[in-house]
Amino acid sequence: MVSLEVKKTQSKAFANLIASLALIVFEIWAWLQTNNIKTAKNAAVQPSTFPRIMIIGMAVFTVVLLIQSLIKLGSMKTDDPLAEKAETLNFIKDKGVLAALFVVLLCCVYVYFFKSLGYVIVSFLLSGIIMWLIGLRKPVPLILISALVPLLMWLVFYKMLKVNIPMGPLQFLRELVDKI
Amino acid sequence: MDWNLLFSSYSNVFLDPQVLLMTLLGAVGGVLLGAIPGMTATMGVALLIPFSFGMDLIPSIGLLLGIYCGGMYGGSISAILIHAPGTPSAAATLLDGYPMAQKGEAGRALSVAMFSSFCGGVIGALIMTFLSPLVAKVAMKFTSAEMLMLAVFGLSVIISISGKSISKGLISAFFGMLLCTIGLDPTYSKQRFTFGVTSLKGGLSFIPVLIGLFAIAEVIAGVERIIAGHESAYAKSNEKITRVLPDGKTIGQIWPNIFSGGIIGTFIGAIPGAGGDIAVFVSYAFNKGVSKHPEKWGTGIPNGVAATESANNGCSGGAMIPLLSLGVPGDSVTAILLGAFIMKGIQPGPMMYVSELPTVYKVFAALMLANLAMLLVGCAGVRIFAKIVSLEKRMLYPIILVVSLLGAFAINKNVYDVGVCVFFGVIGWLMNKYEFPLSPILLALILGPMCEQNFVRFMDLNQGNFGAILNYPIAVGFFVVAVGVVIFSIFNQKKIERREKANKAAAAE
Repeated sequence: MVSLEVKKTQSKAFANLIASLALIVFEIWAWLQTNNIKTAKNAAVQPSTFPRIMIIGMAVFTVVLLIQSLIKLGSMKTDDPLAEKAETLNFIKDKGVLAALFVVLLCCVYVYFFKSLGYVIVSFLLSGIIMWLIGLRKPVPLILISALVPLLMWLVFYKMLKVNIPMGPLQFLRELVDKI
Repeated sequence: MDWNLLFSSYSNVFLDPQVLLMTLLGAVGGVLLGAIPGMTATMGVALLIPFSFGMDLIPSIGLLLGIYCGGMYGGSISAILIHAPGTPSAAATLLDGYPMAQKGEAGRALSVAMFSSFCGGVIGALIMTFLSPLVAKVAMKFTSAEMLMLAVFGLSVIISISGKSISKGLISAFFGMLLCTIGLDPTYSKQRFTFGVTSLKGGLSFIPVLIGLFAIAEVIAGVERIIAGHESAYAKSNEKITRVLPDGKTIGQIWPNIFSGGIIGTFIGAIPGAGGDIAVFVSYAFNKGVSKHPEKWGTGIPNGVAATESANNGCSGGAMIPLLSLGVPGDSVTAILLGAFIMKGIQPGPMMYVSELPTVYKVFAALMLANLAMLLVGCAGVRIFAKIVSLEKRMLYPIILVVSLLGAFAINKNVYDVGVCVFFGVIGWLMNKYEFPLSPILLALILGPMCEQNFVRFMDLNQGNFGAILNYPIAVGFFVVAVGVVIFSIFNQKKIERREKANKAAAAE
């Protein structure tokens, strides 16, 4: 939405400015890391050369983005697309961001327990919680979908594609399926 | 060319029930495998090759080619429906395919993808039949210099897929190229950006990054939209699919894209080391560049799907060219096919055209048949596949998440890849939020290793003298074309901006 009320600090141009500053910090860090790459003897191109070229390329266009953002902020017109309100990461004011971060957290927990609890159990929990979070509150479809989809996927991968997937405490299912 | 032998070989293949059945089975398997994020056509062929041991050569090649062609099309199904390219070659299909599905045209997008895949595959098979020795001759002249410049040429299309901001697109691309350097360097095996983590030594696997950037990021963003009230949890597509093939009007609109995509796909596929993943982006950029309405590309138009899918399947014919005429596989699937030929006692190469000409023609016919089988399977499946988007979002997002995470695991059977997938899901979500395009990262991840390896090899061979590139006319040609593409893309981008501004002004009035 093009709006006169959008403050400069909430505009997309300002978001670009912050993003370019964050990228510059990242590029400096990445450049410093290339100093840790060991050199190769008699090499025309050192192992650190290619990453450095990429960092320089990234830095050049980050500076371009920074300058573009500063110019836009200096002479912002209301009909400019960059004058529109930028997305926020403020999870206190924005429930959507909070929910997204919660999903990220759930995914991290999922990865942590993937091996010990097995794919079916962690996927059941992950999909069940997310379904509940985004509005599926009826227990029967929630439990059925959360349980059947991972089970079906496991069956397809295990029996048809011969991919061994961690099953954790449900290891017995593998033997059961093998017997059938 | 021995026309009698060609026709008799085609009729032998098309009238053999065993070949027909095996090719059809292969196409079914390929489409289903390709549609699962993380399962590529290569994996499908590798998984099913043991089943072909007991068969004669042509039925077994039919089975494998069926999987190959089916897998190439199958990858587009999940790209269009759930924003998760099933295979790397389908990565560009989502640029227009997913917006079409969002607009309630999932069935149309699928039918365009299927029809274009079929046509691209037929173009590839025809070029393979008539021009294979000639194309192979040119492709085999490629040294590290040509391969380096081919990668540079591939990268030159980044501006076309950068969306609204060229600088953001180029930042994404350089970031992607930087990501490729994680792990042991390919020439001297020195560790780069590994931070003492053993799993990082092997670098980042492409598929988990791909799934993370597109599918996981879409799920995170979807949950955010639903909770923030920007999207309904009950939203679903109510599209009624009345036909499985595109209508005459759509075909009239997309045929130039199909034709050019098929040719681009075949020629890029014929270059060993370059495959569908590069061809689709080149075809997309080319077709967008020559389009009268480049501003519509990326908003969900069938032309975008047609340009990428025809290039994608055109590659299957292209990749067979160096395999049959020189014994050099064009991509990973044809490398496995080479093994299948050798197992059956046939050595692909120049002599094959002398001693095994009927077999060569039968392979051509099997590829044509595989494309037909893919079309049949696709037609039968369009209505079923499109049902996926008729699920409510509150069910669809969690299902996409657990299926995608399993796909990330399955590629190397490694939990580390699931972590990589989640990490890039967050990166993709943040990049989408702040309008950094994701496709340039993907292209950079595909071309980065090719670019670096050939750059280092070339510099080593020429004692660090980059100017020696001028001694390689094909490489110089690629470079000139790349520069031309960049300049043209910048002008095109300006044209898009002007048109969008004019459209906005007209809408406001």
